[in-house]
Amino acid sequence: MAVPFLTMTGISKQYPGVRALDGVSLAVAPGEVIGLVGENGAGKSTLMKILGGVVEPSGGAIDIDGERADRLSVNRSMRAGIAFVHQELNLFDNLSVAANIFIGREPLRGGPLRLIDQAALNRQAAPLLKQLGADFGPEASVASLSLAQMQLVEIAKALSLQARLVIMDEPTSSLTASETERLLSVVRRLKADGVSTIFISHRLAEVEHIADRVVVLRDGRTVAELEGAAITPATMIRHMIGRELKTLYRPPAAPPGEPIVELRDVRTSHRPEQTITLSIRRGEILGLAGLVGSGRTELARAVFGLDALVGGEIRIGGVPAALASPRQAIDSGVYLVPEDRKRSGLILDFPVRDNVTLANLAACARLGMIDAAAEEAAATDQRGKLDIRCASTAVKAGSLSGGNQQKVVLAKWLSMAPRVLIFDEPTRGIDVGAKGEIYRLMRDLSDNGAGILMISSDMEEVIGVSDRVAVMHEGRISGFLERSQLSEQNILSLAVGRTN
Amino acid sequence: MINRKDLWLLVLILVVGAVVAIINPRFLSPINLSNTANLIGLFGIFAVAQAFVIISGGIELSVGSIIALLGVIFIDLIANGTVNSGVGIVIVVLIGCLIGFVHGFLIAKVGLQPFVVTLCGLLIYRGVARYYTDEATAGFPFGASFPTLEWLTAGRFYGVPHSLIAFAIITIVMAVVLHRSVFGRYLYAVGKNEEAARYSGIHTSRIIIAAYVICCGLTAVAAIFIAMYTRSISPASHGNFYELYAIAAAVLGGCSLRGGEGSILGVVLGTVLLQVLQNLVNLLGIPSSLNFAVMGSVILIGVLADQEFSRRRIAGATRRASRGAEAAVQAAGANRG
Amino acid sequence: MKLRIATLALLVGTALAVSGAAAQDKKALAFVVNGASDFWKLAEAGVKKAQEELPNYDLQFKYPEQAAAAVQQRLMDDLVAAGVSAIMVSAVDPKSSTDALNKVGAQVPLFTTDSDAPDTNRIAYIGSSNTDAGKQAGEIALKALPDGGKCIGFVGLPGADNARERIEGMKSVIAGSKVELIDVRGDDIDQTRAKRNVEDALAANPDINCMVGFYSYNPPRIYEVLKESGKLGQVIIVAFDEDPITLGGVREGTIAGTVVQDPYEWGLQGMKLMAKYLEGDKSVVPENKLIIVPTKMIDKSNVDTFEAELKARIGG
Repeated sequence: MAVPFLTMTGISKQYPGVRALDGVSLAVAPGEVIGLVGENGAGKSTLMKILGGVVEPSGGAIDIDGERADRLSVNRSMRAGIAFVHQELNLFDNLSVAANIFIGREPLRGGPLRLIDQAALNRQAAPLLKQLGADFGPEASVASLSLAQMQLVEIAKALSLQARLVIMDEPTSSLTASETERLLSVVRRLKADGVSTIFISHRLAEVEHIADRVVVLRDGRTVAELEGAAITPATMIRHMIGRELKTLYRPPAAPPGEPIVELRDVRTSHRPEQTITLSIRRGEILGLAGLVGSGRTELARAVFGLDALVGGEIRIGGVPAALASPRQAIDSGVYLVPEDRKRSGLILDFPVRDNVTLANLAACARLGMIDAAAEEAAATDQRGKLDIRCASTAVKAGSLSGGNQQKVVLAKWLSMAPRVLIFDEPTRGIDVGAKGEIYRLMRDLSDNGAGILMISSDMEEVIGVSDRVAVMHEGRISGFLERSQLSEQNILSLAVGRTN
Repeated sequence: MINRKDLWLLVLILVVGAVVAIINPRFLSPINLSNTANLIGLFGIFAVAQAFVIISGGIELSVGSIIALLGVIFIDLIANGTVNSGVGIVIVVLIGCLIGFVHGFLIAKVGLQPFVVTLCGLLIYRGVARYYTDEATAGFPFGASFPTLEWLTAGRFYGVPHSLIAFAIITIVMAVVLHRSVFGRYLYAVGKNEEAARYSGIHTSRIIIAAYVICCGLTAVAAIFIAMYTRSISPASHGNFYELYAIAAAVLGGCSLRGGEGSILGVVLGTVLLQVLQNLVNLLGIPSSLNFAVMGSVILIGVLADQEFSRRRIAGATRRASRGAEAAVQAAGANRG
Repeated sequence: MKLRIATLALLVGTALAVSGAAAQDKKALAFVVNGASDFWKLAEAGVKKAQEELPNYDLQFKYPEQAAAAVQQRLMDDLVAAGVSAIMVSAVDPKSSTDALNKVGAQVPLFTTDSDAPDTNRIAYIGSSNTDAGKQAGEIALKALPDGGKCIGFVGLPGADNARERIEGMKSVIAGSKVELIDVRGDDIDQTRAKRNVEDALAANPDINCMVGFYSYNPPRIYEVLKESGKLGQVIIVAFDEDPITLGGVREGTIAGTVVQDPYEWGLQGMKLMAKYLEGDKSVVPENKLIIVPTKMIDKSNVDTFEAELKARIGG
């Protein structure tokens, strides 16, 4: 390998209460393809943000072409030829491909009129697209492109900035198999032109395929650097995990009962070609694991009546249920604690009280009129039961901490008898103490006879809380794991599509 | 009960009223107060109606055209003796509700933007009204008399115009609906955060449709009162810009055009202020060409002052809070010492 | 989407072709008004009558969608493009539309009615003299108020030429008498405001003796307010035009009199004039290019005759 042009040495990043990175080193040589793998929260994004100049490291040094610095600015990073292809594409879909590539740097004509030189724009974009083997021209409208083609536009944009290093964050998570293959060949072309790539992916098979070298991060440290034959999914998984799990698990009071919700050959609009069959039993917590984009949230939306089923049926209590709206789901006893608490779970400007009673306002009303005293009593009751910490039920929900907000969402459902509760990422953005309380509430609910479906990307949470785990991969259930089989290795294997 | 925003508006009305009364004491003469009260009633009914739609996060721009169309239909039905006035009122209010339903349906179910739907309504109903009378003025023949209807709509009870009484009744009913009923709570919820409302099992599209039905139904009631006030309607100009009076009253009264905010009391006060302004232009002999300019300026001053006050309030609260925190730190330090 | 646009274009194209074809058969003469109002219904009746007498012409009566100069201008441009032979127009804003009117006048013979545009290349004006009409209103007021008094006027657009000329005409007659016009309130042609203006005027000036309604809808609003406040008969009403309520008030004696124009004659004579002009008879245009159709004072004595004539014209 050639001499590295970029070296990060002993990089640390301390956030209040969390050490995100702890002495990580990484060197990039021209034309090198580096796989960067690790669990959610291992420190990959922080490291890349430092490289982009967005986050300032707390310690360590960065050398670029022999010039040493404590940190990078966004400008310095761009000048050094570091370019990002983000998971969420940053394109203007109302503009042409060429206009997107040169956005903010358009070739001009007409002197003081500052007109865009359309011909020059297209002329300059064409060779970039050719270099990447794109099957569309510079005049094409971005809106008409597929996701994979849009990625090529992003990469072309990086090349137009004379990029020497392209960082791809989960570039293949939404691509089909053939599109993925094409992207990988683009990476090879870049390599041939001397452009380096850092390839961040959960799809370990692809990493194995493309990477010259793999860096494995865990808990903010580099735990392994693999090269050549050592790069296999098994070794990567082994290094990615291997931390001691805290025991959060509290066994159920009684063995699980009969199925409350049964999904039979359910197909959602997310991946209509795949069918999902699973059941949630009375008194159990079923974890639903899988990578981001594997279709877990879409499944939850379908069961909660937010999206119509494409096919199959859902039975509740053994009877086929019509779940055409959240109201019908709620009336059948199916409740959802959504992933995005601030957007879908709460009305932040409403008082805690109004949020708590919103789904069950009829219980505090007579003839369509709200009984203020009954409402206050209902809210105060839930506030006490869930130990929601707020000055009064009249304070705005938005002023509470994340954990207390989540309890308000939960309180909304608990005044009614829950049969099935779906938690989508129940503890995201919640501090450790409140996490424990949420888990305890979940177990109390299941012990009282509810069935719980917990969607989570947090391995520790999935393993620590679930009685059973279903793992999704690309829109289907790739396998079930009983409590005794739960390990990060098993879950990760299923999540990357290796059926057990 | 009364919030600060409404209180501030009330103060503004009293100040403006006092200034006008000092310059021209006839402002407080019973006949002038009674006349102004009548207009507050006429404009208040459809301003309250507008508030429902604005709180739902939408807007209803076709108010003026609906007032023209329904007014023309009403006068035509009654003047020609096609139906008696009771049936006429029912028909017109039902047409209003139907228009509201169509608007709500297009917005909530088809997913069109409120601005677009009601802008098209503005053009359509105006055109239909003009076509309906073939551009002629719809009016009652000389000496035509409908004692019951006239008593009901234009009569006065000890000098209190019946339009104001109708407005008061509608306001109280609507205030209860908005501030005390389940529907009202859902309306605020939908206006504030439609997604969270849907996730809570609220049929958001039904709520939105209901808001437009209420808005257009009440506007139909206002259309009848206004038709009986002018007793003649030239469809090309009748009710022009009235939607803007309604929106202005709602905004003055604390409604946010982003939805989810506002109170009925505020809208009532907003309407009062607007009508007092119209009155003062005439009483103080200000050239009538300046009418809109006076109105626009006072609304702007009102909104600016409200903004400034609330900013000071927040700043004050923050200062108090930080002073409190400092005091706590000092107290802790003292304890250690 | 594209298909729909194409269909639409096709429809519009067909419609244009059809109307164009119809227009080619006979010479078309257009009467363009300044906005929708009952007043123009009479002119329309006159044009209808003229159509009977001019079978070789296609007479068109056009309302702009809005009483705006730009809208009216576009309407006239469209008419010229569609091939009309001559246009008679009541310009929305004659003062500031000189260039635009000249443009039309350069393409087809242009006549004005209702409000004149003397600075343009129009062939002639046919209509009333608003100044004369105002003078007649002044005479009605002088007769009704022999001991003098204070008047307030009400009008739609105080700045419009017809309003200004009527007001000036009235003032010129009452000047030097004990009758004075202390204020004129405008309402932007909003009838709610028109009525409110009367109410407010009455509240602000309890000693007022006389009210003048300069636009056709103003006298009925004055009449209603005075009726509701029990002042009918105490406050003299001087009116313009022939709203049914106005005529009823005149017959009843509560309105002192009304000054009426004769739009029926404008339509009838105007169309015949244009036809003659097109046929080459330039002698129909007088030296001063003004063809004044006199306005009439209607009071209790002649209101029945007038109304009967009106009914016959609109009915016929």
